[in-house]
Amino acid sequence: MLTYIVKRLLVGVPTLLAVLTVVFFFVRIAPGDPAFIILGDQASPQALAAVRHDLGLDQPMLAQYADFMAMVLRGDLGNSLVTHQSVWGEVAKVLPYTIELTLTALAIGTVLGLPLGVLAARRRNEFIDYAARFLSLLGLSFPAFVSAILLLLAFAIELRWFPVISEARANDPMSRLSALALPAVNLGLIMVAYVMRVARSSMLGVLGEDYIRTARSKGVPAGIVVWRHALRNALIPVVTVVGLYLGVLIGNSVLTEIVFNRPGLGKLIVNALNQRDYTMLEGLMVIYAFFIVIANLLTDLTYGMVDPRVKHQ
Amino acid sequence: MSDASGRELALDVRGLTTEFRINGRWYPAVRDVSFALKRNETLALVGESGCGKSITALSIMGLVPKANGRVAAGQVLLDGRNLLALSEQQMEKIRGGAIAMIFQEPMTSLNPVLPIGFQVAEALRYHTDLSESEAKARALELLQHVKIPSAARRIADYPHQFSGGMRQRVMIAIALACNPRVILADEPTTALDVTIQAQVLALLAELKAETGLAMIFITHNLGVVASIADRVAVMYAGDIVELAEVGELFRRPTHPYTEALLASIPRVDRDAGDLKPIPGQVPPITAMPAGCRYADRCPLREPRCTQESPPLSPLADSAEHFARCWVRAGTGGSAA
Amino acid sequence: MTVAPATRETGALARFGTALRRHKMASLGGGIVVLAALSAIFAPWLSPHDPLEQDVLLRLAGPSADFPLGNDSFGRDILSRILWGGRVSLYVSTASVLIAIVLGGAIGILAGYVGGLFDRIVMAAMDVLLSFPTLVMGLLVVAMLGPTVGNLILAITLTAVAPFARIARAPTLTIKERDFIEAGRALGFSNLRIMIVHILPNVIDEILVMASLWLATAIRTEASLSFIGLGVRPPTATWGGMIREGFENILDQPLLAIFPSIAILVVMFGLNMLGDGLRDTSDPRLRHE
Repeated sequence: MLTYIVKRLLVGVPTLLAVLTVVFFFVRIAPGDPAFIILGDQASPQALAAVRHDLGLDQPMLAQYADFMAMVLRGDLGNSLVTHQSVWGEVAKVLPYTIELTLTALAIGTVLGLPLGVLAARRRNEFIDYAARFLSLLGLSFPAFVSAILLLLAFAIELRWFPVISEARANDPMSRLSALALPAVNLGLIMVAYVMRVARSSMLGVLGEDYIRTARSKGVPAGIVVWRHALRNALIPVVTVVGLYLGVLIGNSVLTEIVFNRPGLGKLIVNALNQRDYTMLEGLMVIYAFFIVIANLLTDLTYGMVDPRVKHQ
Repeated sequence: MSDASGRELALDVRGLTTEFRINGRWYPAVRDVSFALKRNETLALVGESGCGKSITALSIMGLVPKANGRVAAGQVLLDGRNLLALSEQQMEKIRGGAIAMIFQEPMTSLNPVLPIGFQVAEALRYHTDLSESEAKARALELLQHVKIPSAARRIADYPHQFSGGMRQRVMIAIALACNPRVILADEPTTALDVTIQAQVLALLAELKAETGLAMIFITHNLGVVASIADRVAVMYAGDIVELAEVGELFRRPTHPYTEALLASIPRVDRDAGDLKPIPGQVPPITAMPAGCRYADRCPLREPRCTQESPPLSPLADSAEHFARCWVRAGTGGSAA
Repeated sequence: MTVAPATRETGALARFGTALRRHKMASLGGGIVVLAALSAIFAPWLSPHDPLEQDVLLRLAGPSADFPLGNDSFGRDILSRILWGGRVSLYVSTASVLIAIVLGGAIGILAGYVGGLFDRIVMAAMDVLLSFPTLVMGLLVVAMLGPTVGNLILAITLTAVAPFARIARAPTLTIKERDFIEAGRALGFSNLRIMIVHILPNVIDEILVMASLWLATAIRTEASLSFIGLGVRPPTATWGGMIREGFENILDQPLLAIFPSIAILVVMFGLNMLGDGLRDTSDPRLRHE
C-alpha cells in the first residue's frame, strides 16, 4: 500500500514540474516589469537596474528558470515582491482558513449530495426525483459569488444571524464557527448539486445492472440491495467527480472568500495579481497544483478501496 | 415414461399474463401462459429472443421491472400458495429460498465489488438461521459442490478473478444455497464456450438428480433442450404454441413454428445464430394480429387463422401433447 | 467491400430535434437560451437608454416607469446595462467555447487516431492544463496579459480545451479499431479523410452535448473574472462587473446586485436545462425514460 502511495506521488511529480514550468515562463513572458511595480514608474534607471539585479531578472531566462526550480525543489518559495515576507509565511497565515472552508464544503457536499442522489434514483420519476433534479440544476446555475451575495444579503444583512464580515477571532471557536457557516454553506450547497446529479445518474445505471437483479433473486431486501449492492458500485463515478470537483471548489472558494471578506488563499491571489507580485503568484500556483496532485492521489486511493478490480491491476 | 402422473406438482402456472407499457399503453409480452412443473422434472421453455420466455421466469420470481411492467393476470402456485398475491416482503422470503434463478450473463450477474463467498453466503442470511461462520462454511461447501477448484482459497476472491464458466458455477452455487424446490435457469449456458456449456449442463443435470429439484430451463438452443429437458414448451410472441414430452416433440413437431424451428437446426452443437431464418418477422408487441400470431409466417395459413386466436389444445391422439393451431390441433370446429 | 457510411451526423442532429420535442426541460431551456441570445444581439434596439449615460440625480434610484429596473451608482439605466452586458457574456463565452471545440476536438481526435508516444505527450500536456483550477487559470492569464475581450476569450479557451480533447479522444480510440476504418485504410483513404469523414461524425455528438454545459461554465468564468475586477474594463457593462458594483453598494441598494444576478441565473439555468436534456437523450442508459 505504501509503495503504491509513493508510486502515485511520483507520478504527480512530472505534472507538478510541468505546471511550475508553465507558470514560470508565462509570468516572465507576460508584459510588465516587476521592478516598475516595486518602485513605481518614477524610479530612476539605476534603481530599477538594482532591483532587477536583486531579483535575478538580469540573468538569462534559462538561468532564472534553473534557480527557480532549484529553489522550489528545496521547498523555498522565495519572498513576496510587495511585502518582502516569505511566501510560505504569508500562505501559512491564511491557509488554515481556506482549508477549513473547503473541507467543510466538501463534507456538506458529499454528506448531503450522496443520499439525495440515491433517494432521487430510487424514486425515479416521482415528485421527489423531479424536485431534486430541478433544485440541482438550479444549484448548478449559481455562480459562487452570486449565491454568496444572496446568502449574505438574506442571512447577514436582513436577518442578522451571521456577521457581515467573517473576520473571526482565531482563538474563539464560536466566532470562528459563525464566520465559517455562511461561506461553507455557500460552497457546500453548490457542491451538493453536483454530487447529487452524479450520484443519481450513476445509481440509476447501477440499479439496472444484472447483479442487482441477482441480489434481488436471492431474496435480499430492497433497502439492503440499494445500500450494500448498488451504492458501492455507484460510488465509483461519484469519487471521480468529487476528485475533479476540487478544481471548481478552489475557484469557488476564491470568490466566496472575496464576498465574505474572509482571509484565505483567494484574497492572497487576487492581491498578488493586482500588485503583480510574481513570486507570490508562482508560490500560490505551486500550492494549488500540489493540492490537485494530492486530490488525484486521494481519488485513486479511494478507487482502490471501493473497487477490488483496481486493487488487483 | 415422462409423465409419471403420481408425482406432485412443484410449480403450477395458470393463465399468466405480463404486460409492458409502451408510450402510455399496456401490451402483453406474455399472454395466458399455463404449465405445470412436476417434482424432479425439467421443463424447457424454448423460443426466439423476445418471445416472452425470460419474462415468464421474471414474472414467477416477481422481478418484472416495476417502472414499465406488470403481471396483469394469472396465478403462480407453489404449495398451493399464489406467489403473485404475496407482498414484496413475503416474496423476498420465497426468492432464493423455495425458488431460485440462474441468469444468462455470468459476466455481469455477480456483484463486482463483493467477494464471491459473501455473495453465496448472503442468500443463506435471509433464508436460514445459520450464524455468520456457519453460513461461510456452507458457502464453501456449495462452492466445492459446484466444482470450483481450490474453493477454500478462492472464497474471498472477487468475480473479476474468475472465468465465465467459473462465474456461472458461482451463480449456480448461489441458486442452490437454500435447497430450492424450483430453479429457473434463464439461458445459463448461452454466454459460455461450447465445452464449458457442456460442463455446466452436466453439472446442472447431476445436481438435479441428486436433489430432486424441478427446473425451468430457458433456452433458444434446441440441441441443449434435447440433452437436458423432460418436457418442452415452445413459445412464440408471448404464447405457448406447443407443449410436449421432449422425445415426442422432436419426433412429431406439430405446430408449424416448432416444425420450422426443428427443420432449421443444421447440427445439434450449432447455436441459434446459425439457424436458417424463418421467413417473415415476429409481429411487434404493439401490433399483434387478432388471430394466430404465427399466421403471417405460416405455410398452412387458412382464413380462420387470421381471424380467431387458436387455443392450446391436446392432440387427438395424445392427451399430453398440446399445440396452438387450428389446422394441426383442430379439436374445436371441423374435427368435432 | 463497403465502407459504412457516416450517417451518425444526421442521427445526432435528428436526436437533438427529438430531444427538444420530447424533453420539456430541454426545450424550455433552449427557449430561454434563444431569448437571451436574441436580446443580447438586439440590445442596441431593445435598450431604452444608452447603457453608459450617467445621471447623478438618479444615483441608486429604485425602479421607475422610465427606468424599469432602477439606476446604478452612476445613475445609469440598469435594464439597458443588463441587455448590453449580455452581449459581452454571450460573445466571450460562445467564441471561447467554439475555439475550444475546434482546437480540443482536433487535438483529441489526432491524439487518439495517431496513438503511441504522440498521444501520451499530448494528453500529458492536457493533464497539465487540467491541473490549473479553471478560475485561477483565468485569473492568471487575464491579470498577466491585460483585461481585454481577446484575452478573456484566450483565458476561457485555455480552461476548456483539455476537457474537449479528452471527450473527443475516447470515442476515437474505440472507433479507429472498427472494421469500417480498417476497410477505409485498405481502400487507401488518407488519414485526414478518415478522421474527418468517419471519426468526426461519431465524436461530434458528445461534443455538442458538452458544449452547452461548457457554455454555462464559460459564462460563469467570464462573470467571475469581471466580478473580481479582471473582466472587460468599465464602463463597458458586464454582468459580473454590475454585480460587483451592486455588491459594493449592497447596504444602500440591494437591487443593484440582484437584477444582474437574476440575468445570469436565468441564462445559466436555461443552458443547464438544455444540456441536461441533450445528455439524457445521448446517454443510452438514460435514453429510454
